[in-house]
Amino acid sequence: MLQSRPGLVVQGLSVALGGRAVLRDVSLDVAPGEVVALEGPSGAGKTTLLRAIAGLLPAEGAVLAGGRPALVFQQHALAGRLTARENVLVGALARMGFWRAALRLWPRAEVAAADEALAAVGLDGLEARRADRLSGGQRQRVAIARALVQRAPVLLADEPVASLDPATAEGVLGLLRDLALAQGLPILVSLHQPGLAARFADRVLRLEDGCLTPS
Amino acid sequence: MRRAAWIGGFLAIQAACVWLVEPDLGRLWAGLPRLAGWIAGGFPPDFSGFGDIARRAAETVALATLGTTVAAVLALPLTLLAARPSAPWPAMYHPVRALLDALRGIDGFVFALIFVAAVGLGPFAGMLGVALHSAGSLGKLWSEALEAADPAPMEAARSAGAGRAQAAAVVLVPETLPQTASAMLYVWEFNIRASTVLGLVGAGGIGQELKNAVDLLDFNRVIAILIVIVALTLAADRLSAALRRRLL
Repeated sequence: MLQSRPGLVVQGLSVALGGRAVLRDVSLDVAPGEVVALEGPSGAGKTTLLRAIAGLLPAEGAVLAGGRPALVFQQHALAGRLTARENVLVGALARMGFWRAALRLWPRAEVAAADEALAAVGLDGLEARRADRLSGGQRQRVAIARALVQRAPVLLADEPVASLDPATAEGVLGLLRDLALAQGLPILVSLHQPGLAARFADRVLRLEDGCLTPS
Repeated sequence: MRRAAWIGGFLAIQAACVWLVEPDLGRLWAGLPRLAGWIAGGFPPDFSGFGDIARRAAETVALATLGTTVAAVLALPLTLLAARPSAPWPAMYHPVRALLDALRGIDGFVFALIFVAAVGLGPFAGMLGVALHSAGSLGKLWSEALEAADPAPMEAARSAGAGRAQAAAVVLVPETLPQTASAMLYVWEFNIRASTVLGLVGAGGIGQELKNAVDLLDFNRVIAILIVIVALTLAADRLSAALRRRLL
């Protein structure tokens, strides 16, 4: 279902870590339904940029996203002993009270939303499987489903296919592109494989030494 | 030079210990025949009225088990306050850690002695003593397990807007369950061993039976009770080890 989303606008974002400038005056925008790839060498600041946009790092500048962006982490960051469904529900914790969540009294509507998100990433039937018994590609899909149930206006993905084989990587990136189109979701994804970036993204931005450069 | 300093330091510590303990081999030599006489006189062990010994042994297991359970209930909130990934108020971190150290630093035997004075003789006092001491031990072991856990799932939950305590309860606690359950079994096994002597201060269990037999110089009974204690602690040790192997 296409939703009306504001897109992502980043203006003059700068981050200094330990007194060293890691990002310098980065500005970019991602339109609703657009997939923008961020490429660059290791240490260029891709992860820092995504984390700063997600609000996980203190930064100077402005991020206009219409709400808190959802971030898909590089190594999926799933809790191995929780089921796929429970991991997805972690994305909905902000809408639940402490005791309800601690006692796993998940609201029915949230369970339905989690199952719907798992179906959207092609994992229906695996809701009750523990995350540590899923393959690498399936885990990354659960991480994407967790980001989807956040109902965030923007999706950020930090090298989501770094540890996947080429076929699985293409599947995950194809899924992100389909989600962007189907839901009008602006997606900013960092990749270190230029070939994949060119094939799956609408635009490619290059980050070098903390600055955006023409790609 | 450095090795000489280590050896010198070690010898100095041992010398200080000897000075404080005043070991006397002559006294040991003189006492050995008496000890040997008691042991020889203790055979065959007197298992008559085994029901009483069994009931006291069961009391020991019960107070150690209940004490460990109560300790876990006390330790859980303290653990969440004393582990960096879950502590909602950083200012509470060090005071709660100090409280856990204090509870752990006072032996269950000492706590039981105090509780006997407060609530009277019997296993209830022993259980309370075990619970307080073990709450400190469990809190320390559990908070270390939480701090050693992979921080990524916790960060993912926090980035999705979950509160620190909420994320810890939903993600961190289940993730560290094998380690925390293993620690609890270890503490339970330790408590079975430690509870066998709580009866010496009137805090119930098989130690009470042992004290009665020693007071009466009934060494056949003493040996019988010691055999039961060794069997009990070995059984707890094996059971705990087997369960922990399955958990980890």
